[in-house]
Amino acid sequence: MDTAIEVRQLVKTYAGDVRAVRDISFDVDRGEVFGLLGPNGAGKSTTVGMLTTTVAPSSGAARLAGFDVVRSPLEARSVSSVVFQEAVVDRALTGRSHLDIHARLWRVAPSEAGDRIARLSETLGLADLLDRPVGTYSGGERRRLEIARALVSRPSVLFLDEPTVGLDPRVRAELLDLIAGLRDRLETTILLTTHYLDEAERLCDRLAIMHEGKIVALDTPHALRADLGEKIVELRVRDQPAAALDRLRDSGLAGRDAFAVGTTITIPLHDHDDTVATAEIERSGIAPTAITTREPTLDDVYLRLTGGQLHNAA
Amino acid sequence: MTTRTLDLGRPLPSLPRNPFSPLATLARRRLHLTVRTPRELLVPMLTPILFALVIAPALKEALHTSSSYEAYVATGTIGLLIPLNTMFAGLSVLVERESGAQRELLAAPVPRPLLVLGNLIVAFGVTALQIGVLIGVARARGIHFDVAGPGVLWFLGGAALFTVGMYGAAESLAARVPSAEEYISRVPAIAIVPWFLAGSLFPITALPTFLTWFARFLPLTHALALVRYGLLNDPSGLHNIWRMHSVTEMAALSMLVVGAFAAALTAAGIRLFTRGAVG
Repeated sequence: MDTAIEVRQLVKTYAGDVRAVRDISFDVDRGEVFGLLGPNGAGKSTTVGMLTTTVAPSSGAARLAGFDVVRSPLEARSVSSVVFQEAVVDRALTGRSHLDIHARLWRVAPSEAGDRIARLSETLGLADLLDRPVGTYSGGERRRLEIARALVSRPSVLFLDEPTVGLDPRVRAELLDLIAGLRDRLETTILLTTHYLDEAERLCDRLAIMHEGKIVALDTPHALRADLGEKIVELRVRDQPAAALDRLRDSGLAGRDAFAVGTTITIPLHDHDDTVATAEIERSGIAPTAITTREPTLDDVYLRLTGGQLHNAA
Repeated sequence: MTTRTLDLGRPLPSLPRNPFSPLATLARRRLHLTVRTPRELLVPMLTPILFALVIAPALKEALHTSSSYEAYVATGTIGLLIPLNTMFAGLSVLVERESGAQRELLAAPVPRPLLVLGNLIVAFGVTALQIGVLIGVARARGIHFDVAGPGVLWFLGGAALFTVGMYGAAESLAARVPSAEEYISRVPAIAIVPWFLAGSLFPITALPTFLTWFARFLPLTHALALVRYGLLNDPSGLHNIWRMHSVTEMAALSMLVVGAFAAALTAAGIRLFTRGAVG
């Protein structure tokens, strides 16, 4: 399978020795939906900035559809489009103007552009809005317009930078449906950044979890969860969670991948039955205030890797 | 900080393109935004028209000067209109960076200097229109201009190059300051203070000697001297700067000064914009 995005030892260090991205490498195959998951400050947007040539890498290399983003930025930009985290629109212009300008700048033939704009606006439910100034659009309508705009040029690589941030739950759900639909219909490679676990799990073929500028895990959502086994036990203690965790490790119930955040201890149950685990906890002399047994989530994966609560950090 | 790149070992496909073909698209976009914001067209004209139509006749009346003083001030107001208009245009670039579609343009497969040039084309056109309106209104008010054949070229060249230079200054400022508030706070120092010193309302020789010397170095002084030479057939502004005999030589030297100003500020504007665009 062709590689659409190649990233090799990419580094970005800002003034004051602020190391935003630290030596990351990954490949994204053509047609794949790849997620960068992490809290604010993890380096996701800086990575997207380097791939879209709006942030200069300090070192390393990256290519989009074979075009080096440093040596051939125009070519790299010509095969990609971005949907930004914030609204990036001219409020005084109509939706149609936005699509038309994008088509012209990305050198889509005028006859072709007309057809694409008509089809995209129909698909994304924008047909009745196109001749209104964008300043009159709702948040969801504006976001759909930005997605349509990014698709007018039929990019080989589409960047979606936190596409659902700031949207109300209903609009967010609609937008996730829309992106999931696009994923099934397009051959475009999508790189999605998010700090929403459900979004990453639903949309992405593979995920890279970023933490403090590094990729700390990279795999399919299923494989990442599978590392924690079939089930986990989560218990809350009143105090001294570290001591309680040590005791559970000594008993053999908790392995190296068990972790404590605050007063909550999470124990992956690789070889243990959950009823046996619960009994073992009671036998260990710990008096938990609550015990829950459940399937592992990406949140657990993230917690294990970083020791931070993803949705709290974001 | 040094940038190191790794060779990933693939040949780079060539992408034939005419780098200027998107310029029309960028200029058209900026024009659409400008005409949808009438304040960008009207506000910069208010003060100059007020000067040309109200203050100049009032000064003539109060100071018992000749009718040519009205024409002197009317042409002098061009030196206020150009900086005000171009600074307003620069403000819209800053607003576009904060809450407009600038990032989309930065992600486009377009050489980034063209983003500046697209805006410049529209700022230039709007300024030309406003100068035309100002001159038309002044003539309707009875102010007489003495345009003699090729002399108008000195006016057109001086005004055009000064407009280009001031737009470069506006782009440079927009790229350097973080907010619209800071931008606006610097506009008076850039657009208005020089106007009082550049021979707009009185000859620069009426200033204290050190300020006369200072005024000789202001591009606006040279631009206004060219404008007056072209529109009023009055070379006194050029004489006050150069103190030479040949009017054509003096005009050519002032044109060189304004041209150098335009080239330097345009280059600075493009450089600061493109550098600021990449983190």
